[in-house]
Amino acid sequence: MSRNRIHSEQQMVRRFTRTFIVTHWLYASSFLALLVTGLPMYTEFFDWLYPVLGGPATARQLHRIFAVVFVVPFLILLVFDRASLKNWLKQILSWKKHDFQFFAAFPKEFFGFHTDMPKQDFFNAGEKLNSILQMFSFLLLILSGVFMWFPKYFPKWLQVWSYPIHDIGFGLAIAVVVGHIYLSIGHPSSRVSIKGMTKGYVPMKYVEEHHGRWADELRRQGK
Amino acid sequence: MPEFVKLVDVTKCTGCRACMVACKNWNDLPAERQEFQGSIQSHKKTTAHTWNVVTYTEYEQEDGSLDWLFRHSACLHCKEAACVKVCPENAIGYTKFGSVVIDSEKCIGCGYCVNNCPFKVVELAEYKDEQNDKTYYKAQKCTLCTNRLEKNMQPACAVTCPTDAIVFGEQEAMLKQAEARLAEIKPLYPNANIYNPPGVGGTHAVYVLPEKPSVFGLPEDPRVPLSATIWKDYAQPIGKALFGVTTMAVIGAFISNSLFRRHENLEQVENEGGSEQ
Repeated sequence: MSRNRIHSEQQMVRRFTRTFIVTHWLYASSFLALLVTGLPMYTEFFDWLYPVLGGPATARQLHRIFAVVFVVPFLILLVFDRASLKNWLKQILSWKKHDFQFFAAFPKEFFGFHTDMPKQDFFNAGEKLNSILQMFSFLLLILSGVFMWFPKYFPKWLQVWSYPIHDIGFGLAIAVVVGHIYLSIGHPSSRVSIKGMTKGYVPMKYVEEHHGRWADELRRQGK
Repeated sequence: MPEFVKLVDVTKCTGCRACMVACKNWNDLPAERQEFQGSIQSHKKTTAHTWNVVTYTEYEQEDGSLDWLFRHSACLHCKEAACVKVCPENAIGYTKFGSVVIDSEKCIGCGYCVNNCPFKVVELAEYKDEQNDKTYYKAQKCTLCTNRLEKNMQPACAVTCPTDAIVFGEQEAMLKQAEARLAEIKPLYPNANIYNPPGVGGTHAVYVLPEKPSVFGLPEDPRVPLSATIWKDYAQPIGKALFGVTTMAVIGAFISNSLFRRHENLEQVENEGGSEQ
């Protein structure tokens, strides 16, 4: 954790590496592009997007291009920043008492009321759940997407099951994204965390309020 | 409006292929050359440009004698059609005659119907846009000559059939006729049956078959695929509801935070900073 150095004058703490930030935004923007190009297939309510995108055939082509971009962030992390990837995976797979207690306290905090939130890790339980759901839906989307894209190489039943699986993956991903965006730029108590995904640093005060266990760890290391 | 049924009595079919010619003729479909099938059969199955195909099956009976079985194969016009269910553009629908028809204007050529049809009837036709040289696709299949029905005419195949192996009429009369014919042929063909599969809600093309459906390349118990039901009846509505729930929660949180949050700010910092587990 040598990167988590506190900037003494602003009391800022390093949270994410530059590579992690770049991959996050690459993932987010390709997700958005995939959403826009896929939405008219999901519901007729968005059929007006076809003329905007240049017709159904072009929309499908764009969807495939963005699908490739969608996979790139993971590869970048795997090659260039395995430390961040490892830490992320290790964190989100660790579930202790304070993680489960998070969900009892979270609704009150979410709606703006005072609550006794147990101290959280580097990723709080909400972030852990969000990460797990995103990874799970990512796998569903990519796998079913490959089956649909290259029907020649796979049996037909895989193709036919890919439609609902792609749908479920999308449904899971989009449902949590709304909350994720709100908490990172809208919610008064957590919106400062967006700085971690832009500059890479978050205020120490935020760390103490939202990631108490991480704050303790930083203090123990004397940083 | 009474429902209509096309009754195909396979035992009367002589394999003359007049129905194929009449279909091509009326629907203005191009000739389609295919590789030799190894038999007299002209095409392997129905395609986007060949909406009906007479199949020729050499079937060995239990006593060793050979039956040459002909079947006029085309869209069965299911009452609960998988293609209608899975189409993302509502481009496939039921007409007042009971036929299942694709609206080419709405079709985007995604091929979901092709993959979900339990009878493998629907296929994509490839077209070239001459203005910008782009290729595009449209799903195509038998329409039960809906454009003829609208003019009080019968489907081209039914009118043409010289042996009345294909007849067209009101559902009740056709089903009665099928039962009567079944009784007639049962002594000769003990496996004879009427093919009007309940798994797809019944069909608007009903067969009298002298042998089991699978002998004719028909599924014994065709159904709307389970994956299609999960997809359209569960995954999609639940997904939309879930999105609605989180969106409403966020809107609620936004309102609630701007109403009640202000006085809590200071207190919160102190409490949370110092709380121990």
